[in-house]
Amino acid sequence: MALKEVPKSLGNMSLRTEKPMQINKAVITAAGPGQTSLPLQRLVDRDGCEKSALEMIVEEVDSAGIESVGIIIRPGDEEAYRRAAGKHVERLCFIPQSEPKGYGDAILRARTFTGSDSFLHLVGDHLYLSRIEARCAEQLIKIATEEACPVSAVQATRESMLPYFGTIAGNRLPRHDRLYEVKRVVEKPTPTQAEQDLTVSGFRSGVYLCFFGMHVLTNSVMNVLEEFSTRYDRPVSLSEAMSEVASRERYLAYEIQGTRYNMGVKYGLLNTQLALSLSGVDRDRVLTEMVELLAHQPNISTSAR
Amino acid sequence: MTSDSKTSAVLSSGLNNSLEANSLEAWVDTILSEDEATRHRSLESLCTGLSSQELLAAADRLDAFRRQSSNLYHRVRALFYLSAIYRYFLPRKISESHAGLLDQAAYEHILQRRFGEAIDSLLVTQRSEGPTLAITSALAKAYYQMGFQTLADQVRQSVRTVRGNQWMFRIGHPADHPLRLAKRLMEYDAATRTMPVLVEKTSVRMDFSHSGWSDIFFLGMDYPEGAQVINAAINLGVYGRDDAPRPPVEAYVRVIDRPVLRLVSVDLGAEAELTEIDDVFDFAKDYLGLLKAALIASGVVPPAMEGCHRKVSELLETLMGQSGLGLEIVSQVNNIPKGSRLAVSTNLLGSLISALMRATGQVSLLEGGLQDSDRRLITARAILGEWLGGSGGGWQDSGGIWPGIKLIEGCLAEPGDPEYGISRGRLMPQHTHFNVDRISAEARKKLESSLILIYGGMAQNVGPILEMVTEKYLIRGEKEWIARQQAITILTEISSALEAGDVRRVGELTTRNFTGPLQTIIPWCTNRYTDSLIEKCRAHYGDKFWGFWMLGGMSGGGMGFLFDPAIQSEARQWLLATLVSTKRELQTSLPFAMDPVVYDFEINERGSWATLLKGEDASMPESYYAIVAPKWLKREMRDLSEQSQAELMRLSGKIRGGESESTWLLDRLLPQPSRQSEGAFRLKEMLKENGFDRQAHEQIRNELVSGRLGLSQNRLPSQSTIEDITADDFIDMRTSDGDKETIPVGEQAIADGAAAVVTLAAGVGSRWTGGAGVVKGLHPFCKFDGRHRSFIELHLAKSRAIAQRYDCTVPHVFTTGYMTHQPIADQLAAVQNYGYDGPVYLSRGASVGLRMVPTVRDLKFFWEETSHQVLDEQQQKVRDGLHTALMSWARSAGEASDYTDNLPMQCMHPVGHWYEIPNLLRNGLLLKMIQERPQLKYLMLHNIDTLGATLDPRMLGRHIVSKSALSYEVIARRVDDRGGGLARVDGKLRLVEGLALPRESDEFKLTFYNSLTTWIDIDQLLGYFELDRKTLSDAKAVDAGIRKLALRLPTYITIKDVKKRWGHGQEDVFPISQFEKLWGDMTALPEVRCEFFAVPTMRGQQMKDPAQLDGWVRDGSAEYIKSLCKWS
Repeated sequence: MALKEVPKSLGNMSLRTEKPMQINKAVITAAGPGQTSLPLQRLVDRDGCEKSALEMIVEEVDSAGIESVGIIIRPGDEEAYRRAAGKHVERLCFIPQSEPKGYGDAILRARTFTGSDSFLHLVGDHLYLSRIEARCAEQLIKIATEEACPVSAVQATRESMLPYFGTIAGNRLPRHDRLYEVKRVVEKPTPTQAEQDLTVSGFRSGVYLCFFGMHVLTNSVMNVLEEFSTRYDRPVSLSEAMSEVASRERYLAYEIQGTRYNMGVKYGLLNTQLALSLSGVDRDRVLTEMVELLAHQPNISTSAR
Repeated sequence: MTSDSKTSAVLSSGLNNSLEANSLEAWVDTILSEDEATRHRSLESLCTGLSSQELLAAADRLDAFRRQSSNLYHRVRALFYLSAIYRYFLPRKISESHAGLLDQAAYEHILQRRFGEAIDSLLVTQRSEGPTLAITSALAKAYYQMGFQTLADQVRQSVRTVRGNQWMFRIGHPADHPLRLAKRLMEYDAATRTMPVLVEKTSVRMDFSHSGWSDIFFLGMDYPEGAQVINAAINLGVYGRDDAPRPPVEAYVRVIDRPVLRLVSVDLGAEAELTEIDDVFDFAKDYLGLLKAALIASGVVPPAMEGCHRKVSELLETLMGQSGLGLEIVSQVNNIPKGSRLAVSTNLLGSLISALMRATGQVSLLEGGLQDSDRRLITARAILGEWLGGSGGGWQDSGGIWPGIKLIEGCLAEPGDPEYGISRGRLMPQHTHFNVDRISAEARKKLESSLILIYGGMAQNVGPILEMVTEKYLIRGEKEWIARQQAITILTEISSALEAGDVRRVGELTTRNFTGPLQTIIPWCTNRYTDSLIEKCRAHYGDKFWGFWMLGGMSGGGMGFLFDPAIQSEARQWLLATLVSTKRELQTSLPFAMDPVVYDFEINERGSWATLLKGEDASMPESYYAIVAPKWLKREMRDLSEQSQAELMRLSGKIRGGESESTWLLDRLLPQPSRQSEGAFRLKEMLKENGFDRQAHEQIRNELVSGRLGLSQNRLPSQSTIEDITADDFIDMRTSDGDKETIPVGEQAIADGAAAVVTLAAGVGSRWTGGAGVVKGLHPFCKFDGRHRSFIELHLAKSRAIAQRYDCTVPHVFTTGYMTHQPIADQLAAVQNYGYDGPVYLSRGASVGLRMVPTVRDLKFFWEETSHQVLDEQQQKVRDGLHTALMSWARSAGEASDYTDNLPMQCMHPVGHWYEIPNLLRNGLLLKMIQERPQLKYLMLHNIDTLGATLDPRMLGRHIVSKSALSYEVIARRVDDRGGGLARVDGKLRLVEGLALPRESDEFKLTFYNSLTTWIDIDQLLGYFELDRKTLSDAKAVDAGIRKLALRLPTYITIKDVKKRWGHGQEDVFPISQFEKLWGDMTALPEVRCEFFAVPTMRGQQMKDPAQLDGWVRDGSAEYIKSLCKWS
């Protein structure tokens, strides 16, 4: 049972006077190598309904009051995505990334869709489960709206997972448990670099704040991506662009109350499905089936294989 | 308890009222003070004039202080003060008669590194019994070792807590491994069927200024202001062999198509494929320890994985993201000899770490140079690697990783540093690069055209020197501290001279540094070889010889000679010839690992550099294939991996195309004329020449194999009773009682020519050079009267002094063996017996043994069942691994088989000092002496290393008056005097060897240790051999008499170390078995009439190990010996 807890607003404490940010658009990237088929996978959600991962991602976006969703796809994938989108298909805008020029370029492709607006960005190979009533996207948008600046969702992550994520260095904001001012972002750092440059006070040794796969990005982020893609003759990562943003303006990270599940790693889909099932209506049934499975296969050891 | 000890017990019980508390606080103030003058106050200034009572009170205060102090360096300084008080100052105040016994429990604590418990136990004994020589020596040792242990613990702690290293101590399972291999290393080139090869090329470092050893981590952390050195990264070539200098250190990394870690050391000819992670932590198993340390320190196999019992393949799968692939690491140092003092191994470690860190994305760039932040990180990892490998260099040693010339300095620890609040300085130094604005290109060129770098070829152990320096600096030894300040000033002057481009001035300064401060701090940093080379340079080139500089911890290995650039080319050739000829002159007296080498060098301005070889270029160095290709060729082609097949095909193409020589491959594959068979033939000849008894040898082998002989069988039966002697059992020669009667008797005998000296010099002094097989007697071990003097010269100088005093001649005999005879004969002839007036004889040994591979049973007994000093944690792990490897060697070589895999000389052994006297009978020397000098009645026999033994009329008179056949000299036992002593064995008073004692604990019951010096009544001795002066000429009777007596004496099996030299200055030490009969066992024969003289320590102590030298000078022993000598 999720606890009823919504992130505390900084509204009363914040001295910021800008007009609250409006976020009505979301961009989902699904054109990365090995990533394209993942949103099409069918899973059973917390309510016991079978649906595609894409539908679940769109529902996540929905919960935050987003109206239109742009999906960056590989050319030729549109038909499959349309089929997988189910009832949400009419709200989707498909944006092809004509050449595989990296993550940064994929987001930049969405500029025609986002214009100069701030937007929510999610990766297409992750699903998110909140530990509280407000879903993950909702938590993030609430903070971004109030703080009126780019915000990345982050999660405390053990150092063994560093090769998979962008990682931030930052300071916790006074009187706020989960909000950090980002100083630097490093894409897939080595543990050596993480230990030297990315430790965040309050965390145990070997635990770092890594990207959650969900960000609120602003027009200034798109400007940096644009600048970098012109400057460098190589794929640009979102992390290096965000690191640049951190050096130019206020950029926050929010430690989200939830968990991300990466469907793209070994047993990622299985883990995601188990996480969904064990936190939903079919929990007892799935547990029973797992126990039966174990009971009937007692002698299988790794060496036997 | 004697009245003396009661008095001392009262004195030692804490603070005495008569002492002012203030004087005690001076010790603590010195440690704590922020004021420079107070903090650097010398130990001597604190101790001078203090009575034993005051010294004990000071020791109590310091001990209390070190227990409560939380600051590491305060504790360490207190520990070294305490050690020095108990080692050098207090024993001088204790009567020699107050010998005391050593507490076994305390001794065991010391061996097990439980120093705190040892100290507590010893202090309790001291409080009840008063200070004795035994206890003070044990306390000195315990405090000293505790000081070093505390320092080593701190370095370990600092290395672990450096940011960027910590994670490696947390990752204990391969699945959690957070590193990933760079994708570019995994890009398979289908056209050439190759994987890319990452090559890192690194220079070595040359120390311009000699840092006065201030680059020892402990010292930089204690006194960072004084820790400075100027060093340069240099490329090397061997003069006459290489075309041009190049970075001598190379590391190669590539992905292979088998899920293993394949390690190859090209220079050591070693290769291994590791499949278990635990194997990576076994450093001593093969010659690949350095590569393993690099794998660990680079984080590829994090140190926390030690003992995880997982497969290498699991780790590789995480690291590479796919299964079936492995990693190959290859090292090469271009055949630069070991011991070059250019930090080759540290820089190789750094180079390997750098390549592996590049490969795993831990430094900024995969190819090209390094950033300073990368270099710092690699340096920190290299320190970690050295600690893991159980070695330890100085902090400047990674200098080859950094480019050009730089000043490296200690830094004060600041808030946020792991050392802050613990030590004054940081573990890691800071580097300041000297660019061309500061030292011009012209000055660099000038230096290159003046300096000749050489490797002198000596094999040395620098470890004891580094310990001596550390202790002397931390206690602020008076003259050493002044010398250190001078060395710091010289460094500044060298820096200015370099900036001014005045290389001649640099030469003057480095020479001044070597002859002044460095030799004041550590007299042992020079030797006869170095001094002789410098003298020859001066004599040959006059003022065109600009100076000398020492590289590393001591001279004899890496050294630099500066000449006028106009003559450098000629001087280089002359120097090489001079080095070789000087080495030839001295090679029997000083340990050399190989022939000297002259280098070409240039300063490397870009530091460590990496290149990624791809396609056709992606191959390993040719010498790599000399190691691996023969192994591939022995297997079916289809059994080889695809990658190995492709490599063989490419190699074949190169050989066919003439791009590569094929001779090395043929050399490896086809049999060659064997040097081993030549050696075996020579060995047979030598055994025959030296009286080898094959029948007795086979008998011993059979008994070894059957278990009737062995280390455990050396022991007397367990039911034997071992008791200490009483006051009636010995004659106390430490007091002057009875001198009036005996001295005139002795003086008369000497004046009449009735006495001669016999110095035992047949042995090879295994402990002195760690089994290097040089002649200890000829080793010029210490400077007296401005010159290095050998043991033999020193013994003759004592006999000369006696002869001159009594206006007579004293015959002096040196017994020799197969290894020592010719060198001693040649040397004595060359120096005309050092100008000795009396007759000098050599008594050549007439029997020799053949060493055997030890039995595993004996090795286990030796290493596991007898007490040994446990080493610091990591070193002990390495030692344990080595022991396992050596037991495997014994099994595979054949237990109790003949040891023949070495130079013939190193395969033979002397058969124990009991035979030295029978040899005198057998070879006719005693007969000759008696014929020449019929009045000769007495011999004083002593060991080559008993430096204080002299023909003392007191001892001789006492011996004559006692009418005994043999009078043995014994000394009060101190902590390091292990090896038996004077005892009542089943009621019989006799000397007993340590290896014969039924239990190790028995030794701690014995007050006296055997010095072996023996006064012999010739006629009585002949009687025991059933001979007399007349029958001495009857060879058969002599032989029969010796055989008969020999049968009654026990034969001991001992394990000794023997060095095997190979490659370029490489040395392996093997344990071997040999047998011995020992002279002390004559006391066990019931008919032999013996007396035992307790003599002062300085007369009876033995010099077994070069590490003893410094203490021997500092405690006044050297001065005492000097007073006995008269130089020619």
